[in-house]
Amino acid sequence: MAPKKLEPVHIEASEDPASFEARNVHEIYDAIAAHFSSTRYKPWPIIAKFLSDLPTGCVGFDSGTGNGKYLPLPSDRPGAIWTIGMDRSRNLLEIARHAGSAPERPRVYREVIWGNVLDNGWRPGAFDYAISIATIHHLATPERRKLAVQRLIQAVAPVCGRILIYVWAIEQDELSKRKVVDEEEAEKIENGKDVMVPWVLSKNLAPKPVEDTERPEVYNRYYHMFANGELALLAEDAAEGLGLRVGAPTHGQSGQGVEIVQDGWERSNYYVELRRWSI
Amino acid sequence: MVRLITHNLLACHVKGCNANNFPLEFRNVELEIREAEFNPDFVKGFLPKIEWKALVDTARQLGDTSLPEEQPEMLDDDFLKNLHHVLLEIHVEEGAMVCPNCKHEYPIASGIPNMLLAEHEIA
Ligand SMILES: [Zn+2]
Repeated sequence: MAPKKLEPVHIEASEDPASFEARNVHEIYDAIAAHFSSTRYKPWPIIAKFLSDLPTGCVGFDSGTGNGKYLPLPSDRPGAIWTIGMDRSRNLLEIARHAGSAPERPRVYREVIWGNVLDNGWRPGAFDYAISIATIHHLATPERRKLAVQRLIQAVAPVCGRILIYVWAIEQDELSKRKVVDEEEAEKIENGKDVMVPWVLSKNLAPKPVEDTERPEVYNRYYHMFANGELALLAEDAAEGLGLRVGAPTHGQSGQGVEIVQDGWERSNYYVELRRWSI
Repeated sequence: MVRLITHNLLACHVKGCNANNFPLEFRNVELEIREAEFNPDFVKGFLPKIEWKALVDTARQLGDTSLPEEQPEMLDDDFLKNLHHVLLEIHVEEGAMVCPNCKHEYPIASGIPNMLLAEHEIA
């Protein structure tokens, strides 16, 4: 089947981005939670490695944890680190709080928080690490995406706090069911593209309709698909906005900063890994 | 679930509430004790990041007096086990957390705390 080209969307300037996201992201995840979760079980390799490289005793948080699939990691050292999941969808959290439970074994309990990725409900610098996987692309303006990155930076320790962010890329790989733009067009886009991505709700997992209202079977979720280089720039912009230097620490110069440890593209996603430093 | 490991990291984030906004105070709690696997290396690693007084005071409010006022210099197994229990085995299932400064109430229902704020409360 040929990849389906996605519908572009234009958000009116008069539209309140918070209510736009409530309608086109949050309500949809609450409606599709069970089905969505059943399709999300494989951790991305770079994320699994990031978590498995953390020393024992580290505590972190997962901003936009979804069904909590990263909460049980690293699988070779369960319980060595502790990841707290946060999400806007209460229905996804119900699933995340038992992420990694095996059938016919006692249920596992995770720590999950019902919260907004733009809020700041933590002691500043309390965490050793933070991850935000496939979340920031649901925010409807560049300012909101930048604020979400700043919240991650503020939540991790000024000395050595680590951050990993994943977002969907304009460039989808050949296995993807989606196509955002043609290849020639992708090269010209610097600021990403706003699109609606359909979710077709599988009937056997759909919650029973309360009454015979017309329940839509296709839900369109809003995404900001990132262009090449856009995520790293966003991270730099976010750090500078907090008065932090961008780049590696310079010898003999005291201050605080954020260094980009790695950034790249992995199977239809852009990612960036950041590290805070303080000298 | 709000276990004390999480509680020790949360702070009030209502607009303008920037001082004395930690630790949140538990109210009307229902507790559940659930055994968790003891990992002494994890507990030792997390120890330096704990706000100790907040943890000890909160544990006492919930009826657990096993932790000393001051962090001991010697980390023996008994101490680490008590700390493990306080951090990871006491689950607050129902109730609320109240900010000591602005008195905002964060409800906890079915083990999940609601840290969302109304539009006008957001910084
Ligand atoms: Zn407050």
